[in-house]
Amino acid sequence: MRNISLIFKKVWKSAFVFASLSFLIVTVTQAQDVVEGRTLFKDKCASCHALDHDITGPALTAKVNELDEAFLIPWIKNNVALIASGNKQAIEASKFSPSEMKTFPTLTDDQIKSIIAYAKVGEPKKVAEAGAAVKDEGTSSLSIVGIIAIIILSIIVLVVLGRAVKMLERLILQKQGIAIVEEEGVSLATGVRRLFKNKKFVAFFVLCLIIVLGSFGWMGMWETGVHTGYQPVQPIKFSHELHAGINQIDCQYCHSGAFKSKNSTIPSLNVCMNCHKNVQARTEDGQISPEIQKIYNALGYDADKQTYDKAKEKPIEWVRVHNLPDFAYFNHSQHVVVGEAAIRKEKGIDPKDPVCFACHGPVNTMEEIYQYSPLTMKWCINCHKDADISGKKNDAFYANIIAAHEKIKKGEKITPAMLGGLECGKCHY
Amino acid sequence: MESNKKYWKGLEELKNTPAFVENNKNEFAEPLPIEDVLSEAGLSTVTPRRDFLKALGFGLGAVTLAACQTTPVHKSIPYLIRPEEVVPGIPNYYVSTFKGQSVLVKTVVGRPIKIEVNPNAGIFSTGTDAQAQASVLDLYDVSKLKAPLLKKAETTWSKLDEFVKGELNKAQASGKKIRIVSSSLNSPSAKAVVADFAVKYPTTKHVQYDAVSYTGIIKANENSFGKAVLPKYNFDKADLIVSFAADFLGTWISGEEFTAQYVSNRNHKSLEKGKMSRHFQFETGMSLTGTNADSRIPIKLSEEGPALITLYNAITGSNLAGGTLGNNTNADKALKLVAKELLQNKGKSLVVSGSNDVSTQTLVNAINVAIGSYGTTIDLDNSNKRYEGNDAEFAELINEMNRGEVAAVFFLNSNPVYDATNSKAFTDALAKVALKVSFSDRVDETSDLCDAVAITPNYLESWGDANTYEGFYSIVQPTINPVFNSRQAEQSLLIWSDGAVQDYYKYVRNNWEATVLPAAGKTWNDVLQSGVVTLTAKPAGAYTFALSLDAVATSIANSSKALAKGNGKDTLELHVYESIPMRDGKHANNAFLQELPDPVSKVTWDNYLAISPKQAEASGYKEFDVVTIKDEKGTSIDLPVLIQPGQAMGTASVALGYGRTKVGKAGNNVGQNAFPFVSFNNGTLKYATVVKLSGTGRTDELAQTQTHYSFEGRNIIREASLKDYLKDPAAGSGNHHKHKVYDLWTTDKYEKLGNDWVMAIDLNACTGCGSCIVACNVENNIPVVGKDEVRRRREMHWLRIDRYYSFNDEKTGENVTEEKEIAHMSNLDNVSVVHQPMLCQHCDHAPCETVCPVLATVHSSDGLNHMAYNRCVGTRYCANNCPYKVRRFNWFNYWNDSRFDNYLNNEFTQLVLNPDVTTRSRGVMEKCSMCIQRIQAGKLTAKMEKRALKDGDIKMACQQACSANAIIFGDKNDPNSEVSKLLRSERTYYVLEEINVQPGIGYMTKIRNIDSETKEVHA
Repeated sequence: MRNISLIFKKVWKSAFVFASLSFLIVTVTQAQDVVEGRTLFKDKCASCHALDHDITGPALTAKVNELDEAFLIPWIKNNVALIASGNKQAIEASKFSPSEMKTFPTLTDDQIKSIIAYAKVGEPKKVAEAGAAVKDEGTSSLSIVGIIAIIILSIIVLVVLGRAVKMLERLILQKQGIAIVEEEGVSLATGVRRLFKNKKFVAFFVLCLIIVLGSFGWMGMWETGVHTGYQPVQPIKFSHELHAGINQIDCQYCHSGAFKSKNSTIPSLNVCMNCHKNVQARTEDGQISPEIQKIYNALGYDADKQTYDKAKEKPIEWVRVHNLPDFAYFNHSQHVVVGEAAIRKEKGIDPKDPVCFACHGPVNTMEEIYQYSPLTMKWCINCHKDADISGKKNDAFYANIIAAHEKIKKGEKITPAMLGGLECGKCHY
Repeated sequence: MESNKKYWKGLEELKNTPAFVENNKNEFAEPLPIEDVLSEAGLSTVTPRRDFLKALGFGLGAVTLAACQTTPVHKSIPYLIRPEEVVPGIPNYYVSTFKGQSVLVKTVVGRPIKIEVNPNAGIFSTGTDAQAQASVLDLYDVSKLKAPLLKKAETTWSKLDEFVKGELNKAQASGKKIRIVSSSLNSPSAKAVVADFAVKYPTTKHVQYDAVSYTGIIKANENSFGKAVLPKYNFDKADLIVSFAADFLGTWISGEEFTAQYVSNRNHKSLEKGKMSRHFQFETGMSLTGTNADSRIPIKLSEEGPALITLYNAITGSNLAGGTLGNNTNADKALKLVAKELLQNKGKSLVVSGSNDVSTQTLVNAINVAIGSYGTTIDLDNSNKRYEGNDAEFAELINEMNRGEVAAVFFLNSNPVYDATNSKAFTDALAKVALKVSFSDRVDETSDLCDAVAITPNYLESWGDANTYEGFYSIVQPTINPVFNSRQAEQSLLIWSDGAVQDYYKYVRNNWEATVLPAAGKTWNDVLQSGVVTLTAKPAGAYTFALSLDAVATSIANSSKALAKGNGKDTLELHVYESIPMRDGKHANNAFLQELPDPVSKVTWDNYLAISPKQAEASGYKEFDVVTIKDEKGTSIDLPVLIQPGQAMGTASVALGYGRTKVGKAGNNVGQNAFPFVSFNNGTLKYATVVKLSGTGRTDELAQTQTHYSFEGRNIIREASLKDYLKDPAAGSGNHHKHKVYDLWTTDKYEKLGNDWVMAIDLNACTGCGSCIVACNVENNIPVVGKDEVRRRREMHWLRIDRYYSFNDEKTGENVTEEKEIAHMSNLDNVSVVHQPMLCQHCDHAPCETVCPVLATVHSSDGLNHMAYNRCVGTRYCANNCPYKVRRFNWFNYWNDSRFDNYLNNEFTQLVLNPDVTTRSRGVMEKCSMCIQRIQAGKLTAKMEKRALKDGDIKMACQQACSANAIIFGDKNDPNSEVSKLLRSERTYYVLEEINVQPGIGYMTKIRNIDSETKEVHA
């Protein structure tokens, strides 16, 4: 269900975005440029520039309106060269901040024009609203409840209508003076009673009941303690889709423990602040995004004054999504460093994608993170049984051990299980 | 059978008392209530069908409801700003110093959880003692104060400072004395702080005293050589060691260093070279050192002085008066032999005495000069700075206070109300002092009488330094921020003396940068990393002795006469001593230490009156009878009797350090305080007195771990004499006729292709001190169960040290070999002892594995016996089927049960838990896992670095803590590993190898350096 609802959500969202952008194509000149410009802006400029207010760099909308393209294009391409050439305007512009602007020699003139066009138009308002609307419709359980409610309602309406029709008919008949012959037993209760005297029906009914209850029970028990799809509400609506997907930030940038420790580590807020000191996603009226504001609140950070207040610090209490029981030992580094190649092969992970996807799923498409894998012992063991680790032959640690095994199991692939990866004490101690 | 010696663990086993035989037959320590169930209502009543259905329905409903509970939400809270060096899941290590021992502290996300060995620390790089291992628990002690106290009410530091400074100024104005009372302070910076304080308040004097004092040695050295120091002893350079009641492997001065030195002359490496030192021990009570001696000769306290005079006369040919030993012929013979051998080993021998009497120690100095120990085995030029206390100064302090001359007194790491010889006199005198300030972390006996308690942090929260030996400096650095609102005593003193530098960290650093660091050519950062600075040692000089010994001999003879008042029945000579777990009682609230069995008596959670079996018979007491012990001053305590083989006739021993009343939940009212039996005469504290015993008619069962398990007289200890060993290294090991080995897995061959984790234990190196037990407890989250549960045989220790006694035959001096002869033995004084660490043997044919109905305990491909706790249903079949009795059952959730309130049952103390080891639940079996978390971590490090595992990469917690290096762990598949070599040694045997369980732990035979002459001594 989870996946279906996600797909549903994704489809709707892209449809809305597409629709709004098409709307823009019609209304705004150079609309195609705006779309391209938005993407480029997010990719290249957003870390230092906002449209409507100064951060590291100046507010862009004001600047593009003020300055002409003839200056802007060479400036954006290589501001250092332009300043060196003694361009007065450039020297003036460089005084905005002591930090030097990056050069973008790879951008074409058209691309720069697109960025300028986007900066002039600003963020398409409707897109944001549409996105918000989609979010509210979100959860699948809600829609199911809705559907059930509609069905129940319509049944009630039908029953009521049927009664009303009957009543009217009777009234008509009464008016016409025709005596009403009460039909056999008439009441529903009598019918049901009669039905239950039929032994075959009772047997059939009981059988159905047992099958239904049994299968519900079985499924319920099977799934007890398995939290695939668990997606709790987090204190901050952090989007992995935006960070890992669109912005292509490496997993390790935030989860820096994963490659050296047993914990992947939830990033501390100083990691967030590396970017979010600048990236504030302000709305049109200059309000900092409420989600980013939560980071500032936790740190006691005042964005305007750029100061920290230790007294206001309050850690963020994330809700743990992937939770192994305390008696199971799991080490991230063992899997993503030592076992990377085998896991990639076993789970068919695209070489472009991080190995993390093997267990955490397509994190780069998750608006909010959820548990992708069942994290049951069976799931662990299946991989330990199947994964091929023969690639470790040349690794000094494994050299002797694998050589010893190969003598016995000629031709068969070497799995973690053969090296003791299924033994209780390897994970439970 | 090569060895048919009889060993026994306790007197019940030896005498085969009916109760022991009965208990031994029983499968369980306590009878199961099967009979009750069968005879009473149990099976005879009829359960009506309706009741059955009701119960069934209720059960089903309850289980269903319980299962409906929603999954709890787990919060995950990251750092706001993560410290650069911390990665959650990876431990950090910091060097620090515990009581002069340089150690390494393991911290996990900012909390210290384990003390390990600092490999850079020279003499301290071999191991740590039990106290150091247990010290992490003190940090998480809930009995500590959370804020400073002023007049018994919580206050702030500024108010406290204001009050103390005001009072100090008054004292200053009145010109009265100010006293800082501390136990020996071996921190150079702290001493400098005290000196600075004395500059600001010139009437200040620093009084150092130690509850267990070494003033006698210091004074004797001052008298003999003009050097008021404790010398550095080199036991490693001594081929012959003669100790008069000095427990130098345990509590005497620096047990850990001495153990490492002592063992280096007796362990497998030394034996392979055909070399082993010889050790004679003359002592009253059975000490740890006594159990390790080649020849142990019980002497009364009153015989100690005369014995030394006899020895001196025999060595030098002089004729000092007072050298008569009465009727102790064994001691007489032994002394003659010792004198002969000492003369043969001039310059390679060492005589030490545990006495605190100046005269006795002066005589010992004279003997050591005569045998040329100075410059070789004794080094007076690089002194040991652990103890500098002066008993006379402390006695004078009481007089000064009584005379009203003292206006202010500060207690720093000292608790005289508890451990002063005359607590009442001290308390009365203290009442006359205007300002009483205690630097303590809790309201202890002394702090309770103080105006202000300036609470101090644990050493793991502190900055500081130590100077344990001349030229050997180590650093104390904090591993966690102070948990409570505490402040270091040194910092308080700096603030109160308006010092120029008020931050103690800066003070220590300045001090080092001005003194030690330039001398060593190192920087502050070097020291923070290595932890120690060693300056070039001065050459140890030889010394001559010029004093006349006549006065000394007279003094010794007088003291011994005063002690020799025992009548052999109810009046006995009482020896009060430091026990290994409790030492001087400063850590009495440490549950790990309280539950650490005494290495000899195996008693936990109590002190007791130890008397010899013959003495018990003569006095008419049975084991566990509570007796009143009363001395001439009228002090009396009631303690249960423990029958201790090897205790000298006419004497009794009681351990110090118990009977604290204000230390905390775990340590309050455990045992009785024996400090009142210490007396002050001739300028030093004396730990011997004469007491009268009287029965109370009560009994109190001591919680002993000793006789909980029986080996049914099997051949599990194997030993040989050095002479036999030199002729045949396999002597006594039983390796000459090996049992035929059958393989249990004939069809499906079980091969260990990767690693094969095994262990070798050198019985000749193990001294039995027990620091491995505490290390194991801390590493593996092993719960403390308390006195009552230990009595029920429910202690949880994964690793225990079995202590076996055997006899020396009175007639031949041979160790008794035939079981029949034991029955005729009467002299239980002459016992030999072997310590054997016993832990899960990780058998290849493990009997536990085959009986587990749920496969909770299974074998791994690397030779370990795994225990999956979450699979275990608690049938306890495995424990029953284990021939080594090393499996432990969790009877309770010790971490969440109000009955175990003195240990883990609170969130603060639970911070000590090792996050890499599961805390076991009630109803689950557990046992030694061979520190599998360490094995896995070591393997992972090698895998990440893409290299093969090296021998020594992985160390067990017990192995690491062992100063004697008696435990060696490694991979048997690597033929060059140390453990492989040791297991191939001729000395190696396996316990119970005849039952073909194929254990993974090999033991190396105990070798005793005895010959016909030493046997003669015991004849």
